[in-house]
Amino acid sequence: MIGYLLRRILGAIPLLLGILTLIFFVVHLAPGDPTARFFSPNVAPEVIEQMRRNLGLDQPLHIQYFKWLWSFLRGDFGYSFGQMRPIGEILPEVLWNTVQLTMISLVVIFAVGMLIGIVQAVRQYSIADNVLTFLALFFYSMPSFWFALMLILIFSLKANTAGWPIQFPASGMTGVEYDYLSFGGKVSDRIMHLILPATALGIGSAAGVARYMRGSMLEVIHQDFIRTARAKGLSERTVVFKHALRNALIPIITLLGLYLPFLLSGAVLVETIFGWPGMGRAIVDAILQRDYPMVMATSFVIAAIVVAGNLLSDVLYAVVDPRIRTE
Amino acid sequence: MPRRTLRNLLACSCLVMLAACGRDDGGGRGGEAKAGEVPDSLKYGGTATIGSFSDLQSMNSLVSSDYYSSQVQQYVLFMPLVKYDAELNPVPWLAERWDTVRVAGDSLDLTFHLRRDVKWHDGVPTTARDVLFTFDRIMDPKTAFPNASSFTPYYNPKAQLLDDYTIRFRLRPHSDFLDAWFQAPPMPQHVLGKVKPEELLNHPFGTQSPTGNGPFRFVRHLANQEWVFEANRDFPKGLGGRPYLDRVVYRNIPEMTTLLTELLTGGLDVYLAPRPSQVAQIRANPALEVNHTSYRQWVYIGWNTALPQFRDARVRRALSMAINRQQIVDALLYGFGDVGRSTVTPAHWSYDPRDPQTQLPHDTAGARRLLAEAGWLDRNRDGVLEDAQGRPLRFRLETNQGNDTRKDIIEIVQAQLKPLGIVVEPRLVEWNTLTARLQNDVGGERKRDYDAVVNSWVDYFRKDDRDILHSANLERPFQYVQFSNPRADFLIDTTGVMTDRQAALPFWKEYQHLMVRESPYTVLYYPRRIAGVNRRLHYGEMDTRGDLLNVHRWWLDPSARRAAPRPPADTANK
Repeated sequence: MIGYLLRRILGAIPLLLGILTLIFFVVHLAPGDPTARFFSPNVAPEVIEQMRRNLGLDQPLHIQYFKWLWSFLRGDFGYSFGQMRPIGEILPEVLWNTVQLTMISLVVIFAVGMLIGIVQAVRQYSIADNVLTFLALFFYSMPSFWFALMLILIFSLKANTAGWPIQFPASGMTGVEYDYLSFGGKVSDRIMHLILPATALGIGSAAGVARYMRGSMLEVIHQDFIRTARAKGLSERTVVFKHALRNALIPIITLLGLYLPFLLSGAVLVETIFGWPGMGRAIVDAILQRDYPMVMATSFVIAAIVVAGNLLSDVLYAVVDPRIRTE
Repeated sequence: MPRRTLRNLLACSCLVMLAACGRDDGGGRGGEAKAGEVPDSLKYGGTATIGSFSDLQSMNSLVSSDYYSSQVQQYVLFMPLVKYDAELNPVPWLAERWDTVRVAGDSLDLTFHLRRDVKWHDGVPTTARDVLFTFDRIMDPKTAFPNASSFTPYYNPKAQLLDDYTIRFRLRPHSDFLDAWFQAPPMPQHVLGKVKPEELLNHPFGTQSPTGNGPFRFVRHLANQEWVFEANRDFPKGLGGRPYLDRVVYRNIPEMTTLLTELLTGGLDVYLAPRPSQVAQIRANPALEVNHTSYRQWVYIGWNTALPQFRDARVRRALSMAINRQQIVDALLYGFGDVGRSTVTPAHWSYDPRDPQTQLPHDTAGARRLLAEAGWLDRNRDGVLEDAQGRPLRFRLETNQGNDTRKDIIEIVQAQLKPLGIVVEPRLVEWNTLTARLQNDVGGERKRDYDAVVNSWVDYFRKDDRDILHSANLERPFQYVQFSNPRADFLIDTTGVMTDRQAALPFWKEYQHLMVRESPYTVLYYPRRIAGVNRRLHYGEMDTRGDLLNVHRWWLDPSARRAAPRPPADTANK
């Protein structure tokens, strides 16, 4: 097992380097320049030239590449042109903001999704199954940005004008008076700010997970060993949760592996609508501003997490399925 | 409306106690209109939140160039040497006075006398050494100071420190030589003095730990989220003392629907630059009001005058007359714009809406006549105009992607020109690509590969069209329209050095008339700056000087503040 892990990790290194090299050249080939936001008649071309020199952009591309590679290998991501500070400072900040949001929505996705899927599978073709199928498809096909706006309009704007007892903040991670709140007040302020974006982010995927769960559960439930389990006189609860669920989990775990990158890559649209300073916005800003070091750093994080996610689901297979473990 | 009745009650009971306005000798005029309602001592306290689509680039005036950063630098965190009064005349601010002496040749000696009671927020006095340091960095090409061009009249190294609070510069005469100092508030030498000029851009001073000397001090910045500033309790009494507000929070929210929701639900006190289409919703809410003012921006169609079809001024004039600009302002800006005239905006002192020669009327018949005069007729009766060689009058009208208003403009213009037999092909181009094409520098020769473009310029208070219209700059990046006219060159040169407005006025007028007659740019409109404001915040006036003009005089209704954070300790002594 450990040898297998090591082999996989070593194999990932050239893959990551290849991806980053490709991204480096592609992003430099795109038209535009990090200094473009300074373009204006009031800014002399000589000034722009000097800025390019200060940022090291006047050097040939391959020199820039090796310089970047050398500092990258030493763990130095350099400075973000857009935020004008070290990326080593920005990344943890942005990642932490995103993880708060995506962790909650990941829990929503899998808890809600699996629960619904199980209910549907166990009560196949019942009214509950049909209604839930309809709802799942409804939320699954809804674009997250639209859903996010609707959440804001209903639970923030409408709640305010109609004077509902509970009203959610429409944007930001904390309220204006956060600094002056007690510890408990700070926690609840943060939770209040999390609910709408986490819901907007999670609900569509939860519906997707529910569909997978239902399908995979149904397949298992109709197999012989389930009948055997029932014939042994086991309670329905044990049959469903111990025998069926465990076997039905394998495709869901694959799904979890696929969702891991999402945990750190954030969600551009939802982060933009809720003014959440997370990874998704950092990436898009970096690309739009041609903030090359930032593009490289964020690409690295995402590429690494994709590789890690795949690795993790492979390991989890082995945990769930003893047959894979012994191979 | 319990809040409003409470306020009215308060207003009645306090009516007798007319607050003295003598404190406000610093030039700020806003916020005093309703001063009778609430006694001065009750105005202190509370947090005002400002929401905007754009984040602030940097607080370091040596490296930033965006509008909102300048606003915060000029009015919140720092003190420029001069400010502007409502007529856009420079008035003292960090400099308590200045004098100019004409010296030998064609030069001026400009001496600033600084206030002696201004301190950086860490307690160190602000002195002329800071001004000298800032000037040295500005003049050092390694800094890559974005606004370096506004300092071109200043000789370097001709700054002379007379004493700790007096500094003298030598410069060539220029119509608005003080504007440079409004754009660039001095930076603290004791903090930045040891930083290499080329490292200023990424220095944490700009985004993580700026030390200012203005009415508010820096507390915290979370990137893409918020900037928090708190009242500077040591702000000079002579300039009004500490600001009324305890804190100002600048929030960046990149989605306009969310911004509007935050304003409507009371999360924001000020929403800067809402979409014109959102104004009706803001107005419908009795707790909110809409402020708007003219601004220094002009949205234009630039014609590539090097192309044969646009070489003739009559054609350009005809195109301007054929476009119904009022319709564009009404349809796209909901009226929050002024129909374009010349390249001089309503924010400039010489702008005169009563002068008919500064505007071409909407006149399709006149446009047809002009086109016919210039030789454009429908020769083969296919509905499209042709010149003598039979070439049709057709052009690409381009603009950048991602701006819905401009996208609508090019479609409206296409529809408006079609009945005249002019074929417009609308094109949306990615911003970086478009800019590269407009400026395109191929082997040292500018090949600007475009026909016509919808875009906009934002002027400084110092109006100078040299970079975009002077023939000396034909080979420089921003002469998109490739315009060359000796009289225009003369007028730009002349108005650029005249300091006496009365004497300069005839030249400014002639320049505006010439720009209308020649129409290298068809100025479509001057958008107005809008701000949605919660009435609990006494925002004062807003004018072309900026949205945050009166921030040190803003105050919140005592009854409508957010949960009071702490007792306003030092308001009793006011």
